[in-house]
Amino acid sequence: MTNASEAPADGATECTEPGVGTGHTETPPIRTQLAVTARALAREEWRVHTTLFGGYRFLTMPILITLFAGGTAWLLTETGTAPDAVLIGIHVCALAFGLYAGTAGFAGSAMLEDVFGTHQFLLGVADTLPLSRRLFLGLFLVKDALFYGCFFVLPMAVGAVGVSGFSGATPISLVGQWLSLWLVFVGGMAVTVGAISARTNGVPTWAIAAVALLAAVGAWASGWLDGGTVLVTAHSPVSMAILALSTVLVGALALAAYKPTHVPPSRTAPERFEGIRRLLPTDDPLVAKALLELGRSSGGFAKPFVSVGLLFGLVAGSLGIVESITGVAPAPGIFFGGILGVSAFTTYNWLTQFDDVSDYLVLPVSVVDVFRAKQLAFLFVGLPTAGLPYLLAVVWFDATPLDAIAGGAVLVGYSGYYYGLTVALAGFSPNEFLFDGGRFAAFGGGVAIALVPTLLAAFVLTPPSVLSTVLLVCASALLAGVGFVLSTRAATYWADRSMAGTA
Amino acid sequence: MSAIRVRDLTKSFAGVDAVSGMGFDVDRGELFGFLGPNGAGKTTTIKILTGQLRPDSGAVEVDGTDPSVDPIETRRRVGIVPEGGVPPSFFTPREYFTYVSRLRGLESEIVERRIDEWAERLGLQDRLETIHTDLSRGQQQKVMIAQAFLHEPDVVFIDEPLANLDPLVQEQVKRQLADYVDDDNTAFLSTHNIDVAEDLCTRVGIVADGKIVAERDLDTADEPLLDVFLSTVDEAQPRDVPIVDR
Repeated sequence: MTNASEAPADGATECTEPGVGTGHTETPPIRTQLAVTARALAREEWRVHTTLFGGYRFLTMPILITLFAGGTAWLLTETGTAPDAVLIGIHVCALAFGLYAGTAGFAGSAMLEDVFGTHQFLLGVADTLPLSRRLFLGLFLVKDALFYGCFFVLPMAVGAVGVSGFSGATPISLVGQWLSLWLVFVGGMAVTVGAISARTNGVPTWAIAAVALLAAVGAWASGWLDGGTVLVTAHSPVSMAILALSTVLVGALALAAYKPTHVPPSRTAPERFEGIRRLLPTDDPLVAKALLELGRSSGGFAKPFVSVGLLFGLVAGSLGIVESITGVAPAPGIFFGGILGVSAFTTYNWLTQFDDVSDYLVLPVSVVDVFRAKQLAFLFVGLPTAGLPYLLAVVWFDATPLDAIAGGAVLVGYSGYYYGLTVALAGFSPNEFLFDGGRFAAFGGGVAIALVPTLLAAFVLTPPSVLSTVLLVCASALLAGVGFVLSTRAATYWADRSMAGTA
Repeated sequence: MSAIRVRDLTKSFAGVDAVSGMGFDVDRGELFGFLGPNGAGKTTTIKILTGQLRPDSGAVEVDGTDPSVDPIETRRRVGIVPEGGVPPSFFTPREYFTYVSRLRGLESEIVERRIDEWAERLGLQDRLETIHTDLSRGQQQKVMIAQAFLHEPDVVFIDEPLANLDPLVQEQVKRQLADYVDDDNTAFLSTHNIDVAEDLCTRVGIVADGKIVAERDLDTADEPLLDVFLSTVDEAQPRDVPIVDR
């Protein structure tokens, strides 16, 4: 279209720019394309955080991470944990975070769509641009690696550097820590992208999971894990070079194997909605919907169990260390009950991954009803998800009957409280905690208020008496009540925001 | 008798007026087109009429209900096809239709019959067991259209009715809508596509700047809708649009 006032008087097409208006354009050199795309991706990343997560509020997140990492490292070393063990722990966190961040390669998947609502991202329209999707994805991951390296990994390094005490060598130590953590983080990303690449080559998910499990067991059995821990604690140029080379190798192989044109086969499924509805003690179709979506999406009903299983494994594995540090074995019932209650967050997170409040506004249901249905679905999923590992812990660690009762009450009551806290702070978007410093701090504070005294009690009440058991049961009931009030009021609050158009 | 009545409706977001002084009536048996440029306030108005948003002021009545007072009752009665709406990713069409029917309290035997009827009407028979993520955008749109009609409502609201549909299905939907209003039902279509409005509707309300600026009965009007649209919209909502030499 041409503005008439600016069009050439004789109506001829005047085109001084090469290519413009001819239907053919010169493809710019790949370097220019990459530079332009990198700038666009960086700008987009910045806008995502400033627009979606409340202006510059996301900048509080690095401060929180620094405080959290520093506080934890200080607490652990003060209580006798070896500095190297703390460093390894921080590297494990960086690796886990890298594995999660690598899922960006799934862009367009249901999970990311839900995290970011209806927002469309540059990666999502990569196929419309004259740049290979493989290159685009590579650039996207490099951008993520740099962004998270600065905003998340650097604060971890700052927090961790205090482990070895402050001195003139601290700046060098900080750079070393940062580099080491960053390489482990990027390694995690590369592994996830590798798994995605395998999927795009038609490798089934179960095979990928089996290989991952075998690799983990093999690394542990063959002593490779010990080698890995030496790598991240040595901080020598050689160890850094090995880390960097392995990361680059895994990343390059993953990208090379990635098939941009992969289209999964069309999936059909037998009718399950009515089946699930009939199994439930409630007739509410909204509850059946929540459960069907959880079961039908990748990973099925195993997802919440895996999340809790990781938490359980971590706690069970570190119990011996805790005992050797403190000289006291905690009451396993209370200890595991308190910690496994936190799984309310991950379970609720899974239940809200696949929908949005706006999806229900075309149906004759209120937003309050939707929250109530999620609450019931949480009950059906959360009880076995946290209950089974709890029973395992009680049996495995020989809890006394009173301890088992107290821990059971703590598990149920605290789960209800954490659930209410999550709903009140995040509504339908608990994933946003990952980016919103304010809400993350509020949630962390809310969890700590209940959890810290309970964990201390687990070390003091070994085993708990009748009186202390009764007191813990009462405290749990009180917290469950608080959770119920929080979630009920939150439902009304989010419903109101939805109707006002401000949700 | 009016199926939809709107008086002095207003709604603003963060001080910006999205709807300001909207007012119109839609009678039973009408296929009413809500025509306007992007950002004119069409979707906000539909959301208010279907109880998805609370208005700041004004009176609204839809099928004898007040959506600002009892939004659930309004949504129980009407059918809604939102703009760009997609069905839940991990459902199959059959499961989604069953779910929606359960929410609307339909009997099991009616549900199965209606699912089959709508699948046939929209050519979804061989896709009823396919998970929504594996359907094309057009097929997903068909699912969203069918779910709005399952309970045979007296009034339906459709935002951009023919978006993503192939010409064959567009014709099927047009015929379906014509039959639907012939049975004394009301269809409220929001669109910015003049051809769609001219092709489908019996009457149109042209929206600009958050209010109706003109209404036209398309059965009797002799002036092309495009001319009416351009003159009224440009007058009410002057825009910085480049002048095109044709």
